[in-house]
Amino acid sequence: MTLEQQEGVLRLTGRLDTITAKDFSRDIEQFIPDSGDLRIDCGGLEYVSSAGLRVLLLVQKTLMAKGGKLILQGMKPEVRNVFDMTGFSNILTLI
Amino acid sequence: MIEVRGLEKRYGNTIVFADLDVVVHDGDVVSIIGSSGAGKSTLLRCLNLMEHPTSGQIIIDGEDILSKDTDIQHIRQKVGMVFQTFNLFDHLNVLDNVTLGPMKLLGLSRKEAEAQGMKLLQLVGLANRAAFFPDELSGGQKQRVAITRSLAMKPKILLLDEPTSALDPTMTSEVVGVIRRLAKDGMTMVIATHEMSLARTVSTSVIFMDQGRICEVGSPEDIFEHPRNECTKAFIHRTRSFNFTVSNRDFDMYRLRAGIEAFCDKHFLPAELRDKVVLLIEETLSICFDGEAGERRDMIMRAGSGMDIRIDYIEANHDIGAVLRCNAELGNPLEQDDDNDGISRMIIEGLADITEECCDDGGQKITMILKATTNGQA
Repeated sequence: MTLEQQEGVLRLTGRLDTITAKDFSRDIEQFIPDSGDLRIDCGGLEYVSSAGLRVLLLVQKTLMAKGGKLILQGMKPEVRNVFDMTGFSNILTLI
Repeated sequence: MIEVRGLEKRYGNTIVFADLDVVVHDGDVVSIIGSSGAGKSTLLRCLNLMEHPTSGQIIIDGEDILSKDTDIQHIRQKVGMVFQTFNLFDHLNVLDNVTLGPMKLLGLSRKEAEAQGMKLLQLVGLANRAAFFPDELSGGQKQRVAITRSLAMKPKILLLDEPTSALDPTMTSEVVGVIRRLAKDGMTMVIATHEMSLARTVSTSVIFMDQGRICEVGSPEDIFEHPRNECTKAFIHRTRSFNFTVSNRDFDMYRLRAGIEAFCDKHFLPAELRDKVVLLIEETLSICFDGEAGERRDMIMRAGSGMDIRIDYIEANHDIGAVLRCNAELGNPLEQDDDNDGISRMIIEGLADITEECCDDGGQKITMILKATTNGQA
């Protein structure tokens, strides 16, 4: 899993699972804005499990407390499927 | 009639088969199926004394053929053998291949042997190839000559060792046709075969062997439609499996994932399907080790009761799934504490159809089969 700012876009790539969720939780902190939304390009996200979803949910809660929201964009259908089956598609903003 | 009792064959410390009991009545057609190395061919070779069993009894028509006084030539006359690789005499034409045995061993004159040979060649549809040499025949024709050569010795029983394994589908069907004809005429046969359609359509009974043991015996319908034994089911449904045991919550997820991925790659399963299997297992283990229930399971596992997980890929219908086996102490690994957020369970239920069964030993068997997707594959 890598989380990098490239040309002004925050990109999440690789696998977000039991093994990488802790690193992701740590890495994302620096990108959480004081106000407004956080947009992540998930085009390179290959796999997500509940461990990754839980971290994304925490990020969303943090952002909402500051009046913002988490926006995930460009997700592959097979990854999007996991968000759909857990109802996360309705909790987070997927575009 | 053949009776095999407690037969064992070993080479040094290597056991080929053990505790085999088989009964073949006159007119029976018994097919022996099973993976390569199960012991099928060795059993056949023991039945006509090409191999000598280590222990046990083989009684043919009331005669113990393993007794010291046995006349081996007499037994081999009575019990004909057809081989996978035909074993014809290349320097003799078809008719000479068929008449050599009867002239040398049965004392038939050339005229008598040739008359009988032509009659048998007619039976297998090769009368017009009597003057051909083996090199001039197709594989299917060679095997029909090999069967004819065995029949010429007027055996009471015919053993066929993988008679169609060296043949392409067209040639296989020629040979199967001949075997079917013999079965109809009441020839007693024992056939070791990988050709399931042959075993299914010709046999009066089917024996499934695995790792030197007879796992199941039954009618073709019993074995092919309603197999009872797990090994038989796996073989019939062409199930490929990957097994591992989780022995505590600090299991090596990297290794586990690599193992599942290698298994899926080996069977050419697409990446999407492979990731679904990995996700199914990851979420299962997430629930298993979550909360207080997870603490308890971890302690039980560390005390020696691991959880066995098997990934099954059924080639016959492309189903893929996981089977979890837990003992009574460990209980159901998918049972969660009340305060669990339920995300893992939602993913599992989204991915797979789940069956939870209690086993005779009080343990649990959880079967999770991936749901079909639009491309028809699981």
